Amino acid sequence: MKNGILHPRFIVRQIVRSRRQAIVFVLCVALSIVTLISLNGFSASVNASLLNDAKTLHAADIIIQSYYEISPGTVNTVRQFEDQNEIIGHRVWEFYSVVRNRKGRDSLLAKLKIVQPGYPFYGQVVLKSGRKFAGVLTPGSIIVAQRLLDRLNLKVGDPLHVGSTTLTIKDVVLQEPDQPVNIFLLGPRIFIAAADIDRLDLVKKGSRVRHFYLIKVLQEDKIRSIADRLRDVSDAEQERVDTYRTARSRIKRFFDNLFFDLSLISIFTLLLAGIGIQSALTAFLKEKEKTIAIMKTVGAKSHFITRQYIFILSILGLAGTIIGLLAGLLLQSGLDVLFRGFLPENIALIISWRAVLEGLCLGVLVVGLFSFIPLHRLKDIKPVIIFRKERIRSQARLPIYLSGFLILAFFVLLVFWQVNELKTALYFILGVILLIVITAVSTGAVLLILKRSRVRSLLIRQAIKGLFRPKNATRPIIITLTASFAVIFAIYLIEQNLDASFIQSYPGDAPNVFFLDIQPSQLEKFSDVLGLPAQYYPIIRAKIMSINGQKINRQQERRRRGDNLARTFNLTYRNHLLEDEVIVKGGRLYQKSWGDRQVSVMDTVADSNQMKIGDSITFKVQGVPLQARISSIRSRTRESIRPFFYFVFPDNTLRDAPQTIFTAVRIAKPQISALQTKIVENFPNISVIDTTELLMIFTGVVKKLSLIIRFFAAFSIVAGILIILSSILATRYARIQEAVYYKILGARNNFVVKVFTLENLVLGLVSTGQALLISQAASWLICIKVMNISYQPFIIDSILLLGVTLLLVVTVGLLPSISILRKKPVVFLREHTQE
Amino acid sequence: MPVVEARNITKTYTIANREIRVLDDVSLSVAEGEFLVVEGSSGSGKTTLLSLLSGLDKPSSGRVLLEEMDITEASEDDLAPLRNETIGFVFQSFHLVPSLTALENVMFPAEIRRDPQAHDKAAELLKRVGLQKRSDNYPHQLSGGEMQRVAMCRAVINNPKIIFADEPTGNLDSENGKAVLDLLLEFKKEHQTTLVLVTHSIDIARIADRMIILKDGRIS
Ligand SMILES: Nc1ncnc2c1ncn2[C@@H]1O[C@H](COP(=O)(O)OP(=O)(O)OP(=O)(O)O)[C@@H](O)[C@H]1O
Ligand SMILES: [Mg+2]
Repeated sequence: MKNGILHPRFIVRQIVRSRRQAIVFVLCVALSIVTLISLNGFSASVNASLLNDAKTLHAADIIIQSYYEISPGTVNTVRQFEDQNEIIGHRVWEFYSVVRNRKGRDSLLAKLKIVQPGYPFYGQVVLKSGRKFAGVLTPGSIIVAQRLLDRLNLKVGDPLHVGSTTLTIKDVVLQEPDQPVNIFLLGPRIFIAAADIDRLDLVKKGSRVRHFYLIKVLQEDKIRSIADRLRDVSDAEQERVDTYRTARSRIKRFFDNLFFDLSLISIFTLLLAGIGIQSALTAFLKEKEKTIAIMKTVGAKSHFITRQYIFILSILGLAGTIIGLLAGLLLQSGLDVLFRGFLPENIALIISWRAVLEGLCLGVLVVGLFSFIPLHRLKDIKPVIIFRKERIRSQARLPIYLSGFLILAFFVLLVFWQVNELKTALYFILGVILLIVITAVSTGAVLLILKRSRVRSLLIRQAIKGLFRPKNATRPIIITLTASFAVIFAIYLIEQNLDASFIQSYPGDAPNVFFLDIQPSQLEKFSDVLGLPAQYYPIIRAKIMSINGQKINRQQERRRRGDNLARTFNLTYRNHLLEDEVIVKGGRLYQKSWGDRQVSVMDTVADSNQMKIGDSITFKVQGVPLQARISSIRSRTRESIRPFFYFVFPDNTLRDAPQTIFTAVRIAKPQISALQTKIVENFPNISVIDTTELLMIFTGVVKKLSLIIRFFAAFSIVAGILIILSSILATRYARIQEAVYYKILGARNNFVVKVFTLENLVLGLVSTGQALLISQAASWLICIKVMNISYQPFIIDSILLLGVTLLLVVTVGLLPSISILRKKPVVFLREHTQE
Repeated sequence: MPVVEARNITKTYTIANREIRVLDDVSLSVAEGEFLVVEGSSGSGKTTLLSLLSGLDKPSSGRVLLEEMDITEASEDDLAPLRNETIGFVFQSFHLVPSLTALENVMFPAEIRRDPQAHDKAAELLKRVGLQKRSDNYPHQLSGGEMQRVAMCRAVINNPKIIFADEPTGNLDSENGKAVLDLLLEFKKEHQTTLVLVTHSIDIARIADRMIILKDGRIS
C-alpha cells in the first residue's frame, strides 16, 4: 500500500466526483487525435485505392510527353527498342476542341484523347455497355462521357462533328485509368481512334496538343535503363521522360497539396486540444486540492499522491484515446462523403493500422506533455490550504519552462513529420508562434484596460470582476479562442475574396469567350465571321533556357509548389502597354538604346524569380535561341480573367516567329453557343473557350474545397468550446460561491444570470473582436502580397461571423452555469462553513 | 408586533432512509427591537433554526412569518428583496465575495437596491469599524477579525429590520470577538434593530433581552 496505488474505489470516486471535468478531459484527448487519425487514415485509403498503383495511374511504365511533336530522335529510339522486342509503344494525343452535334447545332468544349489500339497498358477503360474498350473504339467510332451526351442532347449511335470530320458515338466511358477523377476536366471526355487522326485535321504544327508516347517495358528490371536511354536521346527542352515512379500525376499532386493543407489545420487543432487537455486537467485537479491537502496532512508523500493521479489520468487518457480512435475511423468514412466528386465512386476505405498506431502514440504524447504542468503543481499543494484560502504559488519555475520547451519541440517535430517540407514547415511554425505572440500581447493589453476601467453599472462591473476571478483561466481562454477564431475567420475571408476576385465580380466588360490557335492566315476571315471588334494577340510558344547565363534546372523547377520556369510560356509582341497594365520598374516598356533584344516582364514572375532590370533571359522558340535583356517590369492594375502575358517583346523581335493568334471578346451569354458553333464550323482548329462554362466548373471545385477546409477548421472550434467548458468547470466552485452570496445579499436569480451572461459576452467580445482584427490584417496581407488579388473586408459578413461566434461562446459559457444557478444557498453554506 | 415568528416548525433530514428530526415542533416569536440569544450544544439545531427563520431554508412543516408575511412558500426571487432590505446576515465563516474588495463587498447590497449613496455609506461604515485603509483589499488579504468587521458592515448597510448572526465570533480570538460584538450591539442600539444571535458566550447572554436554549430539537 505504501508505494502502490490506492484502493480502486478511491480512484473511481475521484473520477465520479468530478465527472464533468473528467468528461471534458476525455473529449479533449479524443479531439486531439481524431482529426489527424481520420485525415491520415483517409489519405492512406486514397493512396491505396487510387494513387498507389502508379502504373495504372499512368497507364504505362514509361511516359514521354511534349507539347510539340515527339522528336524524331526519340521516336527512332523507341522504334529500335520495339524492334528488339524490349518494349511496346503507343502514341496518345490529348487536347481540347469544340465539338458540334448535327441537329441542334449546339457545340461544346470537349477533351479529346486519341489513342492507338492497345491503350491502356495497365488498368481498364470501363464502358457503360460493359464491352471491351479495344473492341468498341474502331476507326470512325468514338466513346464519350455521359455529360457530353446530356449537354448536346445526343445518344449512343448519333454522329458528332469533331474537327473536320464526323464520327459515330459508340459507347459511354465510365472510368479511365489515367484520369481517375474528372472534376478537373474543363470539358467532357471523347476517345478517338488513332486511325482517325488525319481526318480530324486538328493535330498540326502549332496547335495546342499534348503528345504522349506511352511505353510498356516487357522486363520490369529494364524500365530504368530504357528510360535513361530515352531521356538521353530526347529533346530535353521540350520532352519529359518519366517512369511511372517518377511521374507526378496531377491528381496525386492535387491530393498531396490538399492533404498537406488539411494536416496543417489538424496540427493547429491538436495544439488547441492540448491546451484544452491542460485546462481540463487543471479543473479536475482543482477539485482535488482539498483531498490532496488532507492526504498530505496525514502523511502521504507528494510522489505517492502524484502517482495516484497519474494512474487516474492514464485511465482517462486511455478512454479518450480509444474514443478518438473510434471516432477517427468513423469520421474517415464520413470523409468519403465530404470528398465526393474528387474521388472515383467506389473508393475502398481501409483501416490503416499505421494511422491507428500513430494516433495511439500521438494520444500518449499529447496527454503526457500537456498533463505535466498540472501534475507538477500537485507538489505545491500545502496542507495549510485546509485552514486558509491561500493561493498556491508554484515555486519551481524550471520544470514549467522545460515542459514549455518540450511542447514546442513536439509541435515542431510534428509539423516536420506531417509537412515534410522544411521551408513551409518553418513558415507555418513561425506563423503560429507569431499569431500566439500577437494574441497574447493584445490580450494582455485588453485585460489590463478592463481591469483598470471604472464602470458605473453594477452588472458590467461584476461581469468584468468575474474575468479576474482568482485562478480563472481568462487569459489562456481568450488567447486560444482568439487564435482559433482568427484562423477560421481568415480562411473564410480569403475564400470570400478569392470568390469575389475570380467568380462573383467577373467584370461586366471583361471578355468571356476566348479564341485560341487562330492561324495568321485565318485572321482576316476569322475577323469577318466573328463580326465584332476585337484585339488580337500573337502568341509565340517558348521555353526559358537560362537566366543571366545560368541554365534552368528543370527537375528542380518542376518541384516548385507554385508556377515554375520549366514550363512553356506564351510570348507576345507589341509596342504599347495594355489598358490594365502599368510599368513599375524601368520607366518605359522598352529602353531606346537596347535594340530589339529586350523583353518586358510581368511583376509576378519577376518577383518570384528575383529577376531585375538588365538581367538577360534566353528563350528557345521552336528550337531557335532568343536572348533578351529585361527592359521593364509591368504590373496589372486589375486582376480578372483578362488576357495577360508574362513576357512581352518589341514588334520587330518576334513578328516573323511561328505564331498563333489569340483573342477574347465579350458576348451576351445566350449568344455564346451560336457564335461558338459558327466559329468551329468555319475553323475547326480554333479552340473556343466559354469562360462562363469554365467558371461554373471552377466554382464547383472551389465550393467543394472550401467545404472540406471548413470542415477541418471546425474542429479547432470544438477545441475552443472544450477549453471554455473546462475553464468554467475549473471556476465552478468560485461561481457557485458568488451566485450564493449574491442571492443571500438580496440579488435575484435574474441578476446572477445577467452577470454570468455578461461575463461570457465580454470574454467572447474580446476574443472574437481580436480574432476579427487579426484575421482581417492577415487576410489582407495574404490577398495582397501572396495571392495578388484585391482585398475587400466583407464588413457585413464579418459582423455576422462575429455575432455567430459570440452567440456560441455565450451559449457554451452559460450551459454549465445552469447547474450552478440551481444550487441552493443553504446547502452551499453548510458545505462550506468551516473555511 | 413580532418581526419574525415561527409556528410549529419541524425540520427533518432523511439520510440513508433514516429520518433525523433536527427541530421538533418549535414555535417562537421575536418582537421588534428585541435582542434574542440562541444557545445549545453543537448539533442541537441552532444554525438550522436561524436559516429557517431567515428564509434561507424551508421547514418540513409549520410556518415562518417575517414582518407578518408568510415566507414558508416564498420563492428565491420573492425572498430577494427581503434579504436585501429587511434582513442582515453575519456568519461564523464570514462568507465575503472573494472577487470583490472590502469596500465592494460592503457596497454590494446597497447597489442591488440602486442606492446612489452606496459608495459613501460603505466608506463611512468601513471608517467606523477602523478599516478605511483596507477598503481596497480583497478578502484573502484580510485577517479573520477584519473580515468579520467587513461582513458586519455589509449586513447593516441597508439598515435592516433584523440581523441574524450565527456565532459571529466563533472563528475569532476573544479580543477580536469582543470588538465585533461591541460593534454589533452598538449598531443595534443606534437603530433599534432586532438581533437574533447564536453564541456560547455567557457574558453576552447576560445582556440579552431573552435567551432560548435548544435541546433535542426543542426549546427548553
Ligand atoms: N443537510 C443536512 N443533512 C443531514 N443532516 C443535517 C443537514 N443539515 C444539518 N443536519 C444535522 O442537523 C443537526 C443540527 O445541525 P445545526 O448545524 O443546526 O447544528 P448547530 O446547533 O448549529 O451546531 P454547531 O453549534 O456545531 O454549529 C446536526 O446533527 C446535523 O448533522
Ligand atoms: Mg451552527
